[in-house]
Amino acid sequence: MRRLAINRLLERPVDQARAERFVAKHGSPIVEGPRATFLWVGEADEVLVRHRVQGLPDPLSMRRVPHTSLWYVSIDMPPESRVEYQFEIIRGEQRESHVNDPLNPRLAHGPFGASSVCAATGYVVPEWTLPDPEARSGELVDETLQSKALRRQVRFKVYVPARFVPLVHHPLLVVHDGDDYLQYASMKTVLDNLIHRGEIADLVVAFIPPGNRLVEYANHAPHARFVARELVPYLSDRYPLLGGPGGRTLMGSSFGGIASFSTAVRYPELFGSLLLQSASLVFTDIAFDHGGGAVFDPVVKFVNSYRAKPRRVTDRIYQSCGMYEPLITPNRSMANVFADAGMDVRYREARDGHNWENWRDRLREALTWLYPGDQRFVYE
Amino acid sequence: MTTVLLGPQRFRMTAGTVARGLAPEGTVATVTAGWRDREKDDAELDQVLGGRSRNLHLFTRLGHVVRHDRTFATAASAYNRAVDEASELYTLRLQHALDAVYAISRRSVRDDLVDSSLRAGLQSVRDIDAWFLWVLTELEGELRADGGVDTSDVIAQHRAEVAEIIGGASLLAIAGGHVAYLSRCLRLFAVEPPDHLPIIGWSAGAMVLTDLIVLYNDKGPEGVRPSEVWDRGLGRVHGIVAMPHARRRLQLDDTDRNTVLAHRYAPARVVLLDDGGRVVIGDDGELPPDARVITAEGRVSTVAEGAGAVPNGGPIGRGGGG
Repeated sequence: MRRLAINRLLERPVDQARAERFVAKHGSPIVEGPRATFLWVGEADEVLVRHRVQGLPDPLSMRRVPHTSLWYVSIDMPPESRVEYQFEIIRGEQRESHVNDPLNPRLAHGPFGASSVCAATGYVVPEWTLPDPEARSGELVDETLQSKALRRQVRFKVYVPARFVPLVHHPLLVVHDGDDYLQYASMKTVLDNLIHRGEIADLVVAFIPPGNRLVEYANHAPHARFVARELVPYLSDRYPLLGGPGGRTLMGSSFGGIASFSTAVRYPELFGSLLLQSASLVFTDIAFDHGGGAVFDPVVKFVNSYRAKPRRVTDRIYQSCGMYEPLITPNRSMANVFADAGMDVRYREARDGHNWENWRDRLREALTWLYPGDQRFVYE
Repeated sequence: MTTVLLGPQRFRMTAGTVARGLAPEGTVATVTAGWRDREKDDAELDQVLGGRSRNLHLFTRLGHVVRHDRTFATAASAYNRAVDEASELYTLRLQHALDAVYAISRRSVRDDLVDSSLRAGLQSVRDIDAWFLWVLTELEGELRADGGVDTSDVIAQHRAEVAEIIGGASLLAIAGGHVAYLSRCLRLFAVEPPDHLPIIGWSAGAMVLTDLIVLYNDKGPEGVRPSEVWDRGLGRVHGIVAMPHARRRLQLDDTDRNTVLAHRYAPARVVLLDDGGRVVIGDDGELPPDARVITAEGRVSTVAEGAGAVPNGGPIGRGGGG
């Protein structure tokens, strides 16, 4: 394999002008086969790459090219990986955190801000996540429900597919962190495209936002009661929905995955499927030192309790997790627990992290498995 | 009795030439129900057919029936739900049964044991297919009874109009599209073309002319899924499972899977219909020599090249044959 660009640069003496020409030519990061080189230019005492990739040192210290302001570090980047990262710049006592890579125009967005993206060889943004002018647009309807269970008004959105036919009964998908899925995982575009292409059924999708997320999504009885006893009946009255559990799916990522799973546990046989993305399925095998802080206490208690007595709560589970996030280990373990409990599990891992674009990229496989569309019937 | 099965017409339109050859004059009754809400967008098709088409508008008629016959609409809704549920159970059973067949074919034990085990496994698959068809027949019976299919004035009126158009036609042309809507519309409006009326059907339109409608897509977004029996067709031609878009939808180089496919539907032949494909079946009901089929060994061949009929219940073999 050809030597890395940064190593070729370092073969000869480097001055500032040559370093700047190198940066102008390559930008950052430089992806070469299974390696990626991050670059940063500026005066600092120390520059770190923060990435949250399980298995790599975090932070990664960058090296300075002598006599220049160019900093660099190279790491393994297996094909099809996608890594979100930021820089931390240290100057004397000052520490500047959450700095996106100024040499990299590629950003991913989330509720906590944007991050730079390193896309490895072979990773491409799936075309079905991008707006397709031929796809008919579904409608997002604003709804408001006064919840007795949560003791607050819940404002949420309902996606109604473009080919909505009142005479036909539609499956229902309830999405936790609904606003974030719409904003950061392009979920309306994804639904429009997949429905237009006949890859998934004409779903009605409720995008519900949390109140106090870390409380309501951490195995919270009022939240489960809201979803099962208030939201589903409300939607069933207003939209022609399929009646049985097979027509109802709960979905969420991270704590939203726990909210989905714990609701299904509390109301077994009401929901036919779960779609869990990087669910926070943290557990302990002995004692209670889970390392996740107090907010994880109710989650760990709940998951431990389920593991002590696994049971079938839905027919099917689509479960995915990023290989580079710490939650990969509990998710791998729980996939087997779910399957052994008698549920039909499709478990997928992606070379990605705990982020919205990872969850976006898995939507097609998840939704086509849970609610395949008419494509298999169409022979034009 | 002449029936012509054609491949997809999107990129190589041959239907017009075939239609002129079969019926140079007279009305061409057309079915575009598979296009669903685009059913009436048939100006281009009419042009291809020489401006002499008369569309049966079966999908539009279906909508009219649903709006004006509440009894039928209610029963149809229950039927659709039941079919979906039965289909889910069928798919579940089928996947496990086929997984067993593929697992057996990979085992390194005595060939005769593998062969008999494969035959038994395939019989299980056929039994599951037969179960699903039986359920469909039962549900169809419920729909006929509960929905008043044979007593509804609304349906009777449409059936009479459809029969009149077909009666005055010199050719029936059935376009592709959504095969489930297509087959259900044909059945609801009792489209039973007389033997002397030549018919051409392409893609889904070819599928509904056979005894058995089989769905398949090895290249879908959810990955390879097993082919599924979906419904009975009009039975105009026998001993054929029509598979249009074969190159786009089947992994034709996977001889193991294709061997199972060929043996599963035997003695019917799996006939591949790609762009430009044409299979003319005359009074003798035999496949023409140039028809492309999947052989007992899972290869793609033509009837002329010696692709003999796939024996039903015969040895399946291993290696090239699973």
